[in-house]
Amino acid sequence: MDLSIHDLVKRFGKLTALDHVSLEVAQGSFVCFLGPSGCGKTTLLRVIAGLEEADGGSIRLGESDLSSIPARNRNFGVVFQSYSLFPNMTAARNVGYGLECRRWDKPRMQNRIKEMLDLVHLADQAEKLPSQMSGGQQQRIALARALAPDPSALLLDEPLSALDAKVREELRIEIRAVQKRLGITTIMVTHDQEEALAMADLIVVMSKGRIEQIGTPQQLYREPATAFVADFIGRMNVLPLDPGAAGSYRFAGTPLAVATLANGTANAATAAALGIRPEAVALRERGASGENILAVDVRSVSFLGNITRVELAPENRPETAIVAELHGTATVPETGTRLAVSLPADALRVLS
Amino acid sequence: MSVSAAREPQRAGKAAGWASDRSITMGLSVLAAIPILLFLLLPLTGILLRGFETPSGFGIGNFTETFGAERFWRLVLNSISMSLTATLAAVGLAYFYAYALQRAAIPFKPFLRIAVLTPLFAPSLVQAQGLILLLGRNGVLNRFLGFDIDIYGFWGTAIANALYAFPYAYLILSAALAVADARIYESAETLGAGPARIFRDVTLPATRFGLAAAIFVVFTLVMTDFGNPMVIGGDFSVLATEVYNQVIGQAQFGLGAVIGIVLLVPAILAKLIEKRISSRQHALVTAQSKPLETKPSRGRDLAFSLYAYTVVSLILSVLVIVVVASFVRLWPYNMSFTLKHYEFDVQNGTAPLWNSVGVSLATAILGVAITGLTAIVVQKFKNPLTGPLSLLAILPAAVPGMVLGLGYVLTFNDPANPLNVLYGSFTLIVILSVYYNHAHAFLISSTSLKQIGPVFDEASTTLGGSTLTTLRKVTLPLLWPTLLGVGVFYFMRTMVSLSAVIFLVTPSTQLAAVSVLQLSDRGAVNQAAAFSVCIMAIVIGCLLIVRTILWLAGAKNVTLIR
Repeated sequence: MDLSIHDLVKRFGKLTALDHVSLEVAQGSFVCFLGPSGCGKTTLLRVIAGLEEADGGSIRLGESDLSSIPARNRNFGVVFQSYSLFPNMTAARNVGYGLECRRWDKPRMQNRIKEMLDLVHLADQAEKLPSQMSGGQQQRIALARALAPDPSALLLDEPLSALDAKVREELRIEIRAVQKRLGITTIMVTHDQEEALAMADLIVVMSKGRIEQIGTPQQLYREPATAFVADFIGRMNVLPLDPGAAGSYRFAGTPLAVATLANGTANAATAAALGIRPEAVALRERGASGENILAVDVRSVSFLGNITRVELAPENRPETAIVAELHGTATVPETGTRLAVSLPADALRVLS
Repeated sequence: MSVSAAREPQRAGKAAGWASDRSITMGLSVLAAIPILLFLLLPLTGILLRGFETPSGFGIGNFTETFGAERFWRLVLNSISMSLTATLAAVGLAYFYAYALQRAAIPFKPFLRIAVLTPLFAPSLVQAQGLILLLGRNGVLNRFLGFDIDIYGFWGTAIANALYAFPYAYLILSAALAVADARIYESAETLGAGPARIFRDVTLPATRFGLAAAIFVVFTLVMTDFGNPMVIGGDFSVLATEVYNQVIGQAQFGLGAVIGIVLLVPAILAKLIEKRISSRQHALVTAQSKPLETKPSRGRDLAFSLYAYTVVSLILSVLVIVVVASFVRLWPYNMSFTLKHYEFDVQNGTAPLWNSVGVSLATAILGVAITGLTAIVVQKFKNPLTGPLSLLAILPAAVPGMVLGLGYVLTFNDPANPLNVLYGSFTLIVILSVYYNHAHAFLISSTSLKQIGPVFDEASTTLGGSTLTTLRKVTLPLLWPTLLGVGVFYFMRTMVSLSAVIFLVTPSTQLAAVSVLQLSDRGAVNQAAAFSVCIMAIVIGCLLIVRTILWLAGAKNVTLIR
C-alpha cells in the first residue's frame, strides 16, 4: 500500500514546522527525509507515526485515512535516535514487547522473537540487558523490535547519528539489506547527505518546513532544482545571474551557454543562478579562447590528499568565489596566479 | 519470513482506543485531584475562614484583638530574632562544612557526610533534650565542671534550632558546591587570583542561589518549629509555642488560627522569593564543563579537617548525651548503667512507639501511591487538570506543619463536615502526614520521571502499548527505586514529626515524638531520652534495610536521606 501525504501543516506556537507538505511514498520503497536541523523532517516523521497531531492535511495508507488512528494502532515500526530500548527488559523481551501488546500466544511469540534476533544477527544476545550491549547492538535490537509485529511501514528517526563512524557504516548496509529482504516501505530521517545518497531509493530534501526537491540520489546530484539542494547535496558553485538579463544567462558580464536538460528544468524565466560542481570546473591559461571562459585570479590553494581545492576569484565579480577541485597529480597553480576557467555548458545547472 | 496479511492499521477498536485512553488519563487525573482538594486546600481554606470568624459574625475582630496585644508583638520579635540567629548560625556553619567536604581533602568523608545528617533521624526536640543534658541546670557542664550557664531561653532555643536545621542547610549547600566548572577556576588561577579572591569572585557567586535557598528554608523551618522552644524555651515564648498554648491550653481556635495565618506569611514569602531567585539561575555547568578536582594543600586541608570535626562533634555530642542519659539510672544523680528506661512502664508503655511505626508505614504506602500518581499525572498527561494539580502538589512546601495540623483540627472536628468521622483516628494523622510532606515527595518523583524521558513512552506507544500498559510494564519498573526512596522519606519524616501532628493526637492515638515531648515536660528526662533513642534506632534500621534491598536489586544512585 502506498503512503500518501497531502497538504500537511503543523505549527508549534509561531513556528511553522510543516508548511503544506505533500508526498507519495510507494509500497516497498526506501525514502530519506534529508535536511538541516529544524527543517521539519523529524516533525514530518512524527506526524506520520502519530506521535504529533497535524494541524491540517491528511495521511492515507492505501485506502484508509490515518488521521484519526492513534499511534498505537497505526502499526508502524519506529526506531528512535538512541536509547529507546526499555532498560528494564532483556533484548528478547524488548523485541517481544509489541507482540505482548498485541496478545500473541507464547509459542508464536517465542518463534517470532528468535526469527527477529536472527534477522539482526544477535541471537546470542537475547538475555542481555540494554546496558550490557554496545550502541550498535542496541540499535539493531531496536530495529528487530520495530519489525517484530510485522508493521505496515518502518519509520527511522536518525537511527545512526548516535553511533560512531565505523558502526554507522555497518548498520547502514544492514538496515538496507533487511529492508530489501522484507520489502517493507521505509522512511528514514537524516541530516547526513552521504547516508541519504548511499541508502535511499528516493530522497526528499526539506528546508524551513517545505519540500525543496524530491528525486533519486542521482537526480538530486546531477540536476538540483534549487540553490539550496545544490549546496546541500555535495558541493556546488552557485553563480548568481546578472540582473536584467532576461532570456539569457549572464554571469560577471559574460554570457554563458547552457545545455538544455532532458527534464526541462532549465527554465530561463525562473532562473536565479547557475550551478556547477567543483570537479567540472576546468583551469585554462589566461587569454584562452572558447565557450564559457572567465578570467580569474587564484585566491587560495588547499592540498587535501587525493584532491586539491583551488579557490578562484572572477576578475569582474571577485566577491563570488568559484571553487575548482583538481584530482590526482594535476599541476597545481600558485596563489595569485592570473588564470582563466572554462565552465562546460553540459555541466552548468539552472537553479531557481 | 512470515509476511502476514495484517499489514494494515488495526481498524477494530480505533475510536475506542482514543476514547478509552483519554478517559483513563482523565479518570486518573480526577483521582489525583480529589484527595488534594479535600485534604490540602480545604483545611487551608478552613484556617483562613476561621481566622475571620468571631462571636459577632464574620470580621477582622480576631486580627485586631491579636495585633492590639503588646504580648503578640513581643512574640513576633522573639520569633524573628531567634530565627535569624539560628539561621545565620546554621547556614554559616553548614556552608563551610559543605565546602570542607566538597573542596578539601579531609579524612573519613563518608563518616562526616552521614554523621551530620543524624539530626534528621530524631524528633525535632532532641537537640533541646541534649542541650539541657549538657548545659542545663543539671547538665554536665554546670554539675560536674563547675560552670554556671543558664541555657533556658533565647540562646538555648536558637542553638537547639540551629543544630536541628543544620542538616537541611547542609543538604542544599552541599548540592550547590558539588557542581563546579574547573575551567573557570583554572582561568582565575592563571590570571593571578589567590585563594581568597577566587573564593570571593568565583565560588561565592556560583553558590549564591543555593545560599539563598538554604537561608529561606532554614528560616521557615526554625520560625515554625515548635518542639525545641517548647522544651528549652523556659519563659521565652515564640509564635509557634503560642499557637499551641492558645489552641491546646485555652481552646482559643480563632486566635490560634490568626497566629497560624501570621506564620503562613513568612513561609509563603520565603518560598516565593526562593522560586524567583532560582528561576533566574542559569546553567552554570554545561556539557563541556570539566569537573573540579581538589588539589591537596596541607594548610587548608588541616584547617578544614579541624573545623569539620569540631562541627560534627558538636552535633553528635548533643545526640550522644541523649543516648547516654537513656542508659543511666537517674541523670545526673545516679549515673550507674541500667536498661530500666527501656521497659517503658509509663503512660501507654511502648504503644506510642508502635503507633508511630504503624502510622509511618501507612504514610509511606499511601504517600508513595498518592505522590506517585500525582507525579505521573502531571508529568505524563496533558489535560486541564494537570496545571492546577502541579501547583497544589508543591503548595505544602510553603505550609508549616503546625498550620496544616491546625487546619485539620478546624476542618475535621466540625460535625457538619461528612469527613468528621475521620477525626480522632489514625487515618487522619496518616493523611495529614502525607500532605505535610507532599511537596518534597512529589518533586523527587517528578524529577525521576523527567529523567526517564518521553522516548520510552513513544517507543511503547508505537509498538501498540496503551497508556496503562506503558505505565505497568515500563514506567513503574523504572520508577520503583525512586518510589521506594520516597517511601523512606515519608517514613523518616513521619517518625520524627512533631509539630504537624501535635493537634491531632489523642490519648488513644498517641505517637512516639509526642510522647517524648510529654515525658520531658513532666521531667521524666531518662524515659524521654530512651524514647528518642528508640525512634532514632527505628529510623536507622529502616534506612539500613532499604539500602540493603536497593543494593541487592542493583539500584544505585538512589538518595535515601533527604
